[in-house]
Amino acid sequence: MSHLLKNKELKELAKIYDWVSMCTHCGNCKYGYEYGPTSNFAAMLCVQGDKFNFDSYRGSRGKVSLARSLLHNRIGWSDKVAHVLFTCTSCGACQQMCETDIKPWILRMFETLRYEAWKQNVAIPENIKAWSSTIGTLYNPYKEPHEKRLDWLPSDVKASLPKKAEYIYFAGCTASYRRKQLARATVSLLKKLKVDFTVVADEWCCASPLLRTGQYDLAAKFVEHNKALPEKYGASAFITTCSGCYRTLGRDYTMDAPEGYADKYGKMTGVKVLHTTHLLEEMLNKGEIEFTGSFNKKVTYHDPCHLGRHAEVYETPRNVLKAVPGLQLVEMYRNRKFSFCCGAGGGVRGGFADYSLETAGKRVKEAEATGAELVTSACPFCYTNLADAIELNKSPLKMEDIVEIIEPIVKRK
Amino acid sequence: MARGNKEILANLEQIVGPEYVSNEEADLQPYTWDMTWAEPRMPDYVVMPKTVTEVQRVLRLANHRKIPVIPYCNGTNIGGLCVPEEGGIIMDLKKMDRILKIDPETCYAVIEPGVSHAAFSAALKATNPQWKGEEFSKGFEFGWGVHPPSASVLAMAINHGIGHLNGRLGINSQLMSSMEVVLPTGEVAKIGSCAYSDSWHSFLPLPRMDGLFTGWLGTTGIVTKLGVWIFPIRPYKDVLTIAAASAEDITKYMVRWRHYSLCDEVTAVSWWLAQIPIVFPYSPKPADAPEFFSYTVISGWSQEELDYKRKMWKEVVAKERAKGTKLIDFEYPPEAKKGRTELPSRIVGSTKNYSKSCGGGIAWPGTFAPCKSWPILYEKWKEIYIRHGLSPATRFTDYQGAHYGMLRCMTPFNKRDPASVQAARDAMVECVRAGLPEGMLPYKPPVEYQNELNAVADAGYLYLMTKIKDMLDPNNIMNPGKLGIR
Repeated sequence: MSHLLKNKELKELAKIYDWVSMCTHCGNCKYGYEYGPTSNFAAMLCVQGDKFNFDSYRGSRGKVSLARSLLHNRIGWSDKVAHVLFTCTSCGACQQMCETDIKPWILRMFETLRYEAWKQNVAIPENIKAWSSTIGTLYNPYKEPHEKRLDWLPSDVKASLPKKAEYIYFAGCTASYRRKQLARATVSLLKKLKVDFTVVADEWCCASPLLRTGQYDLAAKFVEHNKALPEKYGASAFITTCSGCYRTLGRDYTMDAPEGYADKYGKMTGVKVLHTTHLLEEMLNKGEIEFTGSFNKKVTYHDPCHLGRHAEVYETPRNVLKAVPGLQLVEMYRNRKFSFCCGAGGGVRGGFADYSLETAGKRVKEAEATGAELVTSACPFCYTNLADAIELNKSPLKMEDIVEIIEPIVKRK
Repeated sequence: MARGNKEILANLEQIVGPEYVSNEEADLQPYTWDMTWAEPRMPDYVVMPKTVTEVQRVLRLANHRKIPVIPYCNGTNIGGLCVPEEGGIIMDLKKMDRILKIDPETCYAVIEPGVSHAAFSAALKATNPQWKGEEFSKGFEFGWGVHPPSASVLAMAINHGIGHLNGRLGINSQLMSSMEVVLPTGEVAKIGSCAYSDSWHSFLPLPRMDGLFTGWLGTTGIVTKLGVWIFPIRPYKDVLTIAAASAEDITKYMVRWRHYSLCDEVTAVSWWLAQIPIVFPYSPKPADAPEFFSYTVISGWSQEELDYKRKMWKEVVAKERAKGTKLIDFEYPPEAKKGRTELPSRIVGSTKNYSKSCGGGIAWPGTFAPCKSWPILYEKWKEIYIRHGLSPATRFTDYQGAHYGMLRCMTPFNKRDPASVQAARDAMVECVRAGLPEGMLPYKPPVEYQNELNAVADAGYLYLMTKIKDMLDPNNIMNPGKLGIR
């Protein structure tokens, strides 16, 4: 019988075979759909399937089938297997559509497959291998010196920050090294709102790129290090503007499998994890924020996968945007749980830049179709990919993070 | 690892472009198996044509080189129909996904094989029935089944799939109106009214050559375009429910009710099928629980019409009770009602909720049977299923015209346990064998069922079938091994 687990050398994958075997191969995951009495939502959501077409790439069914084929010893490892695995952006659209019992394990299974791939002689994208070879000492995937992590922070702000505080602002690698204006805007915003926070020089990569690409062993010391930061700085919460960091700190560090990695790295307890938009929404609800100006533009919001489908935070950023005077929020056809990934996640931006930007270009076109002047999001990584696609495609759209929209026009009441 | 040979690969690449062909096992593996017990078989190539010309060129190549070709859209049939018995080329048609026409006056649409139920339903809801621009209601519908939204409308129709309008209008193959097909030897033929003009409204009054490609499991050609009738959505709907202590009693009620031709659908499910998840392995139902639960969907253009149908239904129930038929009142859970009126559904009703207990395997003896055989066969099937440790999770659904309907038994099994797979397969084949003398015929049949069919078929029928197959497909390249005749 061919559905027997035969390849027990793939130990991590074999451990979750109970779940892998629950996929019925029904194909719900291959296409986005929701019933509506007067109109149905129907759209392709799988970034990878949209690009590479074959069933191997489309939805979770292809990858589950791949996992089974490997575990059943029906196929061997190859560069093509690696391509199927590493071109998935881990956006979670297939998981959203799945209705069988494998559903909660789908993303974990993808990451486990990647973990197994690292042990094989297959073509893992060179750029992923490159940043992976230095992240252990530089603590970021951008191959930048760790000492420069806080270069984005204005010296006067740095001098004014307390040693200990209620919140640690966890800037994340992308904002720290590539989108410094987002980190600066966040710090400025937090100061304006009189939030008790600090920024720490010994912040390391949250380990999102490592976990998403299946590098479990390397991720361990990152999780261990960052988990210790709140106690060291007397903080009770992390706050971050990065959706990737939010997902990792808030789920991977704190939740049991399959949602998180507490089974591997232990559980972070007693520490809250907030996205910046959570804090903004809470303060708006309490009447603690006063708008000092307006933002008179038509804006569309792109749901970051790590904040949306991964963490089910859909309305919070929208509620913040809706509170901004003058801002007109318009939705793309694919939004919230049926959003379309920007194409950057899961190591794809690093591993396959052209495909990643092509995907972002599709999203930019969708944003343009709303008639918006500006696309906003809540993630520096999405920001990077969408902004690059806007430039590449000579789109008339502008890109700004929610924090950049809010920061200039608010003060604490 | 790569399969096939480089020359064929190069030829295929030349036809559809290199990005739409693969002979890598990593790409081929999802096409090796499906939900059923069908043993995985590895194809040698997968090719994704976009145009009819590309389909023609691939078929000419395959015919010349005698390579099997398996048409594939979404691979979600429950019959192993797309598992490549003899390897060859999987022709994945999902890039042919255009809705070519929706005619809101003549009420038909023309679609390609890759059009999903999700996309088609969205397009139909956005089109309003009208006459010369004057709209008179909102949105169209087709026969929506219980399946993943990615399932192909065309593949389902040409393989006699069922939809939610089957009680009123018949199964989906009865709603087809014209087709375009590429023959295994590469020629293109239009069938029906579209053979004479660009109107795809009807097969009649012409010879029904669509029958050469309907129910043949992709063994006679590739249907590249299909005209289907579409229907204005009725704004008023309700679901009426009743239960019974036996298959005999529920059938009596269904037979009487269906004679009135007032419902869109009337279905009954056994206690085991009504459980979520389906009880696996078998355990007895509580003694006081009904054996069957039935729902019927009624619809109308006004509240008065709906009220009239509801009144007539109550009369049927009363008359049956007066005769001594034991019918039991019960209320359908709201979620279940939603599931019957909100179609197509993203919920795969048949696969949801029990993959945990059953290790992902699903199959059925899915059959069309005269309604009078339902109670007889139910009792036989029940004995067979219980003997194999399986629950008789059975469904009866009437098709239009009070002649026959669906009889099937949803069968979860554990793919990781060879004994479980064997038990399920044995039980289902035994059910088919038991049903054939009663007039029952399996639809979308796995190879094992086809062998059972062939064993008792009229010799002249098999001769004709073989002759037609040989005429259309002289080198037997189309989905070989599925009909059991070549």
